[in-house]
This record gives sequence, C-alpha cells and structure tokens, in this order.
Amino acid sequence: MVGKKKTIIIPKKKMICQVCGEREATFHFKEMINGQVKELHLCEICAKEKGLSETFFVPSFSLSNLMAGLTELEVPLFQETSVSCPHCGLSYEDIKKTGKIGCSLCYQALKEYLTPLLERIQGKVRHFGKVPRRGKVKDQRERRIYELRKELEKLVRKEEYERAAELRDEIRRLEKEK
Amino acid sequence: MILQEMANSASQWSRGDGPEGEIVFSCRVRLARNLEGFTFPPRAHDSVLRDVSDKVLNAVKKSDYLKNSRLINISELSGTERRFLLERHLISLEFSAEGSHRFLVTEKGEVISLMINEEDHLRLQSILSGLQLMDAWRLSDKVDDELEQNLDYAFLPQWGYLTSCPTNTGTGMRASCMLHLPALVATHRIDELLKNISKLVLGARGLYGEGTKSQGDFFQISNQVTLGLGEEEIVDSVERVTRQVVGQEKRAREMLLKRNGTQLKDQVGRAYGTLVNAYLMSSEEAISLLSKLRLGVVSLHLFPHLSIQALNELFFMITPAQLQVKEGKEMAPLDRAGLRAKIIRERLGELK
Repeated sequence: MVGKKKTIIIPKKKMICQVCGEREATFHFKEMINGQVKELHLCEICAKEKGLSETFFVPSFSLSNLMAGLTELEVPLFQETSVSCPHCGLSYEDIKKTGKIGCSLCYQALKEYLTPLLERIQGKVRHFGKVPRRGKVKDQRERRIYELRKELEKLVRKEEYERAAELRDEIRRLEKEK
Repeated sequence: MILQEMANSASQWSRGDGPEGEIVFSCRVRLARNLEGFTFPPRAHDSVLRDVSDKVLNAVKKSDYLKNSRLINISELSGTERRFLLERHLISLEFSAEGSHRFLVTEKGEVISLMINEEDHLRLQSILSGLQLMDAWRLSDKVDDELEQNLDYAFLPQWGYLTSCPTNTGTGMRASCMLHLPALVATHRIDELLKNISKLVLGARGLYGEGTKSQGDFFQISNQVTLGLGEEEIVDSVERVTRQVVGQEKRAREMLLKRNGTQLKDQVGRAYGTLVNAYLMSSEEAISLLSKLRLGVVSLHLFPHLSIQALNELFFMITPAQLQVKEGKEMAPLDRAGLRAKIIRERLGELK
C-alpha cells in the first residue's frame, strides 16, 4: 500500500513474457518500489495466474492514478480538437496530463468534458453543500435553500414536524424557480 | 524564530483530551476555496499569485479568528523547516515544494490554519483532539464565513466550490480522523479493515501528514467524495465509520489482553525500559516503542505517572525536522539520535 505505484506502459517493440519466456507479453507495467522503477512484462496466461486482472490496475489509495485512467477513457474523440479555456488557456490535453483544472472559467469552458469526469470521480454532479453568502443573484437563492435545508435538518432532529413541513414546501418552491 | 517558538510548544490538538482520545488522536476538517477571476495556483503567474495572497492576507487581517495569527512566508524557509510544518499538519507535501507567494497563517494553538496559494488559493483547516469532527466542521465553517465577507469565491450552483483538482470540487471539504490502531495491527486485522474502508471510499494515511508513510500504527480515515452531499452528511459518514473502527480496535485490545495479556505487558514494559534507558535512538525505533507504550498506558493502565498528553506530544518532538528546528541548526543523524534519546529520557523521567 505504501511506497508502491503501478502504471501501465506500452513498449515500442514486441516483448516476451518474463515468467514463461515463451508467449508474447501483452501485460506491461511499471512499478515504483522505494524509488526504483521496475518493469514487468507478462503474457495473458501468466498474468492471470498471478492474479493480475484489470482491477489490479486501480490502486485503492491513489486517486491521481485512478484519474489518469479515467481521463483516458472519457475523452470523446471529436472533442479532442482545439477547445481550450479562454481565460487560462487550459486544454483537454492539459487535464489529461495533470488531472488538474486551470481556473474557475474552465468549469464552464470545458463543461462537456468535465461533467463525465466529475461524474466518474464523485458519483453525483449536483452540489448539495454550503453556498457562499456573497455572490450573484442566482447564488443567493441557492444560499437561501442551503440555509433552509440546514434549518430543516435541525427541526427534524427536534421532531418539530409541522414547522419542518413548511420549510420543505418553501425549499421546493425555491427549487422550482431555478 | 517563529518556528523555534512553535517547536517549544505542542499543538493544542495533540493533548489527547478529546472524546475517544485514547484511540482517535485528532480530527480535521479542511476546506478548499478559490477566488473568482484568478487562475488557480498551479497555472498562475507570479503576479497573479501575489494579487491573490494580498487579497487573502487582507481578509485574514479582518478575521477575528485569524487576525492574531502567525504569518509564515514559505519561500523563506529551508527544507527542514518546511518538513517541520508538514509534520505538524500545517502544510501539505505539495505546498512544501512550492516557491514564492506562498504563505501559512496559523493561530497560536495550531487549531485553525490557512495555506495561501497551495493547489487552491485557500486551504483552511481546523484540527481538534479526539473525535469531534462536527465541531471541527463548525469551526472551519465559521472562519470560512468570516473570510468570505471580504473575498469572492469561485462557485457555481451546480458544482459548488470550484477547485484545482476535481476530487475536491463541490464542498471542497476533506474530513478526516487520525487513529491509533496497535491492536488491529497486532492481530493482523488491519489490512482487511483498510480494504473494507476503501470500499466505502475512505482512505488511509500516516501520522505525519499527507504523503508520509504509516508508522507507529497510525492511520487516517477520510472522505473521498466531495460533491453531491452536504458537509454535515459527509462529516456524519466519516464519524460513523471512525466509531466502527474504534469499536473494533477496543475489541481487539480486549482480546489481546485476554489471550496474550502477559506477553502484551512484557512488550510494553520492554518498550518503556528501552525508552527511558537508551542514549541513542532513531526516529523509527522511537515511534514504534512510543506506539507500544501508548497502548500500555491507555489500555493496560501501566505506568500511571504517564499521561496520553505527554506521549502524544512526544511523537511530535522527536522527528528529525522537529529536533533540528528546536535546536536551530542542522544536525548529523548520530547527534539527532543522541538528542532524541535525551529528550525521551527527560520527558518520561520528569513525569514520574
């Protein structure tokens, strides 16, 4: 778990499996062990015998690795042209390389790309938490909903259901206005 | 000078006086925030970073929670001094490697602190002793409210707070608990547990912060998902899992005591014997022995003259970086081993 990092690599020339020494290696990966890079090349059969399935390549504790894999999967080909953020110049390629977003405007400029990415990482893509007080008019309604929701939770905990029902209706009304 | 002063006093959250403090060392809630209209730090030019730090420092001056804080310019620090702050959970590994216009703001007890121009413009955190994650969230929430009065945060209704890394988007919140789990390690149940926790999208890390290895049987549980849930919901879920792990650790301790009581006492006694008699001590050995002693003190009630607080604080006094900052000079490993052993002898001895 600690000190190990696995990445899949694609070698330039054909490789022979390092275990059986016969079949062509189709599983290639690099592993960082205590700062030293080790390469491993296996054929499909030996890889299976060693219990290395595809899930093996998703280390449970390394999100950046997970992300690098995700970005590979998620970019539809036709979008990989030259769309980039007008404010900071970030492109799809940059996100693929670093896993990082450049500025707040990227979230709008590269929205079509970021939505599936966020979905894969986060599950849901609808914010449900705190809303800043200062902000645009639209955000202020969100802030009101956020405050009401917090109030609602408190009332439910205190078992004041009548007042809670009123708040719930108020939240629904505000949400419809969006 | 500021750092030396810090090295001479322990962080408030290492006192071990919080709920479940025997097993839960500390808990922490961190919020990531960015300013609207400014490129995030990893892609920003120096002039942007400077403007951002000016704005944030101005907001800090107006915050009741932070106005009397220490202000530390990271670019003025040596590698050892950065490591010192990393180990005290005040900065991240990434921050310790960065260049100019990076600042740390930390109030005296090191409960509330703020990194300026880390991966995000603001990284605000509250750390409390024991399991009081909801209180840590409320504290971070309040400081965030204060700062926000003078800052425009990057925010979209659909995606919440916008962050440099998509793993923080939404609440921008990471809620975590650091646990001491020696019995689950000794009974070999920790690996299975970590596997199960990772399925619940929680992660594990070492005692001395992000990117450090797990030593002395310390583990960290935290949320991975930051979008689609409310802050209190996230805090609740991390607390729930933490309580389960705490329950399992307690049962494992009882079992160890019942089945191998004498063996356990022997190990603790030997650890204590080595700690109070050694003249040279590496940090790995010290951490491993202190971990055993901590278990003996809290669960077997051995050495009643020792408090959890004294032991907790020792963990943060004996790493190479803490020692060198305290002494105000770079030291060779052998000199450090000598000083470390001396501090441990004195601390454990004077408490008699």
